[in-house]
Amino acid sequence: MNIVVCVKQVPDTATERKLRSEDKTLDRDAADGVVNELDEYAVEEALRLKEAHGGEVTVLSMGPAKATETIRKALAMGADKAVHLHDDALHGSDALGTSYAVSQALKKIGFDLVILGSESTDARTGMLAAMLAERLGAPQLTLASKVEIEGTAIRVERITDYGYDKVEASLPAVVSVVEKINEPRYPSFKGIMAAKKKPVETLGIADADIAADQVGLANSWSEVVDFAAAPPRAAGTVIKDEGDGGARAAEFLASKKFI
Amino acid sequence: MDFTLPESAQAVRRGVADVCARYDMDYWQRCETEKRWPEEVWADLAKGGWLGLAVPEEYGGAGQGLLELAVATETLSASGSAGGSAFMYVLTPGFGALTLARHGSAEQKEALLPKLATGEMETCFALTEPDAGSNSLAISTFARRDGSDFVVNGQKVWITGVQRAARMLLVTRTIPAERARPRTDGLTVFLVDVPEAVRAGGLTYRPIPKMGANTTPSNMVFVDDLRLPASSVLGEVDRGVAVLWDVLNPERILLAASALGAAEVALRVGVDYAKQREVFGRPIGANQAVAFPLARVKAEIELARLMLYKAAWSFDNGLPCGTEANIAKLAASRAAWEAADAAFQTHGGMAYSLEYPVARLLADARIGRIAPVTEELLLNHLATQVLGLPRSF
Ligand SMILES: Cc1cc2nc3c(=O)[nH]c(=O)nc-3n(C[C@H](O)[C@H](O)[C@H](O)COP(=O)(O)OP(=O)(O)OC[C@H]3O[C@@H](n4cnc5c(N)ncnc54)[C@H](O)[C@@H]3O)c2cc1C
Ligand SMILES: Cc1cc2nc3c(=O)[nH]c(=O)nc-3n(C[C@H](O)[C@H](O)[C@H](O)COP(=O)(O)OP(=O)(O)OC[C@H]3O[C@@H](n4cnc5c(N)ncnc54)[C@H](O)[C@@H]3O)c2cc1C
Repeated sequence: MNIVVCVKQVPDTATERKLRSEDKTLDRDAADGVVNELDEYAVEEALRLKEAHGGEVTVLSMGPAKATETIRKALAMGADKAVHLHDDALHGSDALGTSYAVSQALKKIGFDLVILGSESTDARTGMLAAMLAERLGAPQLTLASKVEIEGTAIRVERITDYGYDKVEASLPAVVSVVEKINEPRYPSFKGIMAAKKKPVETLGIADADIAADQVGLANSWSEVVDFAAAPPRAAGTVIKDEGDGGARAAEFLASKKFI
Repeated sequence: MDFTLPESAQAVRRGVADVCARYDMDYWQRCETEKRWPEEVWADLAKGGWLGLAVPEEYGGAGQGLLELAVATETLSASGSAGGSAFMYVLTPGFGALTLARHGSAEQKEALLPKLATGEMETCFALTEPDAGSNSLAISTFARRDGSDFVVNGQKVWITGVQRAARMLLVTRTIPAERARPRTDGLTVFLVDVPEAVRAGGLTYRPIPKMGANTTPSNMVFVDDLRLPASSVLGEVDRGVAVLWDVLNPERILLAASALGAAEVALRVGVDYAKQREVFGRPIGANQAVAFPLARVKAEIELARLMLYKAAWSFDNGLPCGTEANIAKLAASRAAWEAADAAFQTHGGMAYSLEYPVARLLADARIGRIAPVTEELLLNHLATQVLGLPRSF
């Protein structure tokens, strides 16, 4: 089975994240790049499926040059090889543009199963899996907390507000995972050393048949018009319990329409 | 000359940092307060192969050296555990695995190394006695031949990690100190099966209440008519000093690495506080009286690191490393102490509150200037062995 895991490099949530004033895109140089947390779960799931059913795991990441660090981490966890979609023309692509570019790369690589995280920690649209499935004409099984494969059938437990749905489709398919699905492994010493020797293929837009007029900031359907820093948190309300603490806390929450 | 760390050591830094990122300062504080071994971190380090770094590949390790082990120790410590976590690398990967790999018999290596590599089996090291600390050659724990066995009697103190250890490297005299010529002669190191020795009544121990580093207890150890087979000798009878050098130098290097990481933590904590605490309407770090001690610590850390890596590299390349290890130990434990003290002073009254981590950092940093060898003894070595000054003792 040929599994492709989509992995995004995002700025470390522990550091201060900034937008660039020139073009209102994320300043990716200002913060340390790390693997989008849910994508580690996606890699882990791919590795477990490979261990159970055989095949190969390819990491696909679209991003600037420094995304190679993120790719190496996924390889260190145990993925077999990687494709780095990297082209200045891709800078500033919105979700539509990104999904187009990634889908073109996926067509080029070929796949039985595509696994994504269900959401990134920076842009957080949570739309990529659905958009990719649409563009690839493959079934989408999003928000998976469990994945099972039998022959060409894929069964997923998809978390919902009320519990989970059991969803079934046939391969090839696109899956996005939630963190309940597994516990990602740490890269081991041997894994990190071996990752240095694993093949990473870099694709530009021409290599992946990506039309220049459908990607990049200028061709985005959505536009960031303005941005402002979040207002500093206002002083909290302290309720001292004098016998009626519970009622007053409830009153406060109700006044803010939380309950 | 190339100062970049080898890729293997860089991989260790990344990998161990990755494991440690899941454990914050509060986690380590809790372990200390609860006097609890950091089981979770130990299991994670084991899983990634980070404990077996220096175990040869044929015994299930990564076949790396002391440099990689030192970088792992430093990274673990710098993640927030500080000095208290030193024992996680010194006791088993250091005392146990490194020593066995160099001095173990084929059977000993086969039986123990694979389990030491995975952290499944742990070790401790017993040298210090109530009347022999700095003067360790004066130990009196004696192993008497009895047929093909040895029978050991004596007392040890400060022996750390006995509770979890499957094996103890027990340092004994087979020729009494007063008759040994030279004085380094007549030492024999045994690999004692701890649970077995306890069951047989030959070994008892009692933890010493201590000021810090409570994740690993340190103990009084009593050895009474402990019968050991000749096959449990590590290295050669009477020539244990060869084993000892290969225990003591890596021990100093690993403890220097841990101290260096501890200095990093204290510096980070101090600098953060100096940036954010405002007094007289500006951050206290704007005062040079606060800033300079922190800046000086930064310089001390970088200097100590150079010597630490040189010492580890010398050991791995079979070069003499005693002086380098001693200087690294002296510099790193000084840096850890100065860093903790600077962080302490920077925190003002809050430093004294146990809700801040500084008190723990200070208590743990103090050990480094005493154990495993005191600052004075390190300076004695430099004075007499390197500078050729006359001995006072
Ligand atoms: C602060 C900010 C705000 C933004 N706002 C918008 C907006 O409002 N509308 C808009 O259309 N775009 C916006 N963008 C552009 C953003 O770059 C795209 O939305 C993004 O490329 C794809 O969507 P996502 O990160 O939200 O993916 P999600 O759908 O949240 O991520 C799901 C999964 O998709 C995969 N994935 C995502 N990106 C990549 C990649 N580059 N390479 C490989 N796999 C990947 C990962 O597996 C990830 O877990 C914004 C970007 C930033 C930084
Ligand atoms: C937390 C902790 C864990 C330990 N774990 C272990 C362990 O696992 N295994 C083990 O074997 N040991 C262990 N030790 C023991 C440690 O190695 C000894 O404490 C150390 O070597 C110092 O010996 P001492 O305590 O007997 O001090 P002493 O030798 O009594 O020294 C007392 C003081 O006198 C000074 N002094 C002595 N002689 C001279 C001289 N000639 N010139 C100048 N100054 C001198 C010393 O520097 C020191 O300041 C541990 C100690 C501690 C605190």
